[in-house]
Amino acid sequence: MLRAAILAGADSVYCGLRDETNARNFPGLNFSEAELIEAVDWARTRGAKVLVAINTFARAGVLEPWRRSVDAAVAARAHAIIAADLGVLAYARSAHPNVRLHLSVQAAAGSPEAAAFYVQTYGVKRVVLPRVLSLQEITAFNAANSVETEAFVFGGLCVMAEARCALSSYAAGRSPNLSGVCSPPEAVTFERTSEGLTPRLAGYALDRLGSDEPAGYPTLCKGRFQVAGEASYLFEDPTSLNAMGLLQALRTAGVTAVKIEGRQRGKAYVARVAGAFRAAIDALDRGEDLAKYQNLLSDLAEGGRETAGAYRKAWR
Amino acid sequence: MDARPGRLDADLMMGARPPVELLLRSAIRRLARKRPETFERLGRFRDAAFVLAPDELPIAFRVTPSGQQTQVAVVRSTDFRPCAARISGRLSDLLSLFDGSLDADAAFFSRRVRIEGETEAVVALHNTLEAAEFTLADLLGLPAPLRNWSNLVARRLLHGPRPRAADARG
Repeated sequence: MLRAAILAGADSVYCGLRDETNARNFPGLNFSEAELIEAVDWARTRGAKVLVAINTFARAGVLEPWRRSVDAAVAARAHAIIAADLGVLAYARSAHPNVRLHLSVQAAAGSPEAAAFYVQTYGVKRVVLPRVLSLQEITAFNAANSVETEAFVFGGLCVMAEARCALSSYAAGRSPNLSGVCSPPEAVTFERTSEGLTPRLAGYALDRLGSDEPAGYPTLCKGRFQVAGEASYLFEDPTSLNAMGLLQALRTAGVTAVKIEGRQRGKAYVARVAGAFRAAIDALDRGEDLAKYQNLLSDLAEGGRETAGAYRKAWR
Repeated sequence: MDARPGRLDADLMMGARPPVELLLRSAIRRLARKRPETFERLGRFRDAAFVLAPDELPIAFRVTPSGQQTQVAVVRSTDFRPCAARISGRLSDLLSLFDGSLDADAAFFSRRVRIEGETEAVVALHNTLEAAEFTLADLLGLPAPLRNWSNLVARRLLHGPRPRAADARG
């Protein structure tokens, strides 16, 4: 997938090691330390960068796995480490003074003052913006700061205040911020009956889908529940972020890089999405209109629906 | 509508299963010899049984991906012995999942592919196959000179003549 993204035009790829130190700790996913070395070497030959996400939160008295991941990323000559936990950032800065640090979205640094703290204290070079900011807020953020910013433009959305979600933990005992996994697959089941498909998490029925209804990976936040006789999404509709139409606006707002969520997706998806955004950004560089790129990726949206997320949100 | 061939076809295919099993077993074991690290990704599911059931066929493939000890059995599609996961869909979609030319999530979200059993096993298999970047030529065990040609033909058959994203393995 890393190769697919780079061959499709990605300038950088973010990835993780095969453990709980990154927020996509799913079976079969992620790199061994040896594979990371090989991947970084390959990316360098292509002029691309590898950013290693070590963005979960270390547990009290158990910092060792996170230290080991930081050391492994540095040993592999990764271009940057993406971290959120203060202890992880502090260790990376003290043990490897020259390593480039990016602040993960999980740190939820949504104000210039918060970003300034990370820049001054840990020498963070780039902040991945929380997915709750409007374009106006991003503009203000960048006007008050010289730190680079990175904004999500495509992929899944969730309701957690960045880095903290209790829904998954409550139902299944593991969560993205602590274990690196939301709705752990060992707790997911799909039950097929005459009434349709019922996805369950740790036994909780999260939805009931007719034979032709699009399904999504079952998470509690995107569950559909019956209240007062009516089935509806209580927390979050199953929509995907697609900010393809906002690339010019994000550039004007001062964003350095756009981020595509793709670590749990296949290489066909990764190649398509990275290729589409590469083409759109190149067209933007040439001063062309982006209208023809708007609907290129609609069929990949979770639940078949897209949103511009908070970028155009008019209320808080 | 059930488009499966009848009982006679099933009997014929079951009769012809030894060479098919040998071909697939040898191909997967060869891949395991060349790239053992790929199979490590499966973790505890290396010894699990996965059943791949093409909708159009009266048979299914029961695979235990234990690296160089991989087992492949052709079974009747009505054989529902316990397994870690059963993955059903059109044969072309199942082959496209193997070589990563079809996005598994999109295929599942749109209900083109159906899964039963342990979701964790399916996630592990999906992620392993995506990382492996195998091609259909690998599955057929074809020699190097025929690989690019056969992959091109296979893609045409599976996806039609539209241009596709670059092959990550060149």
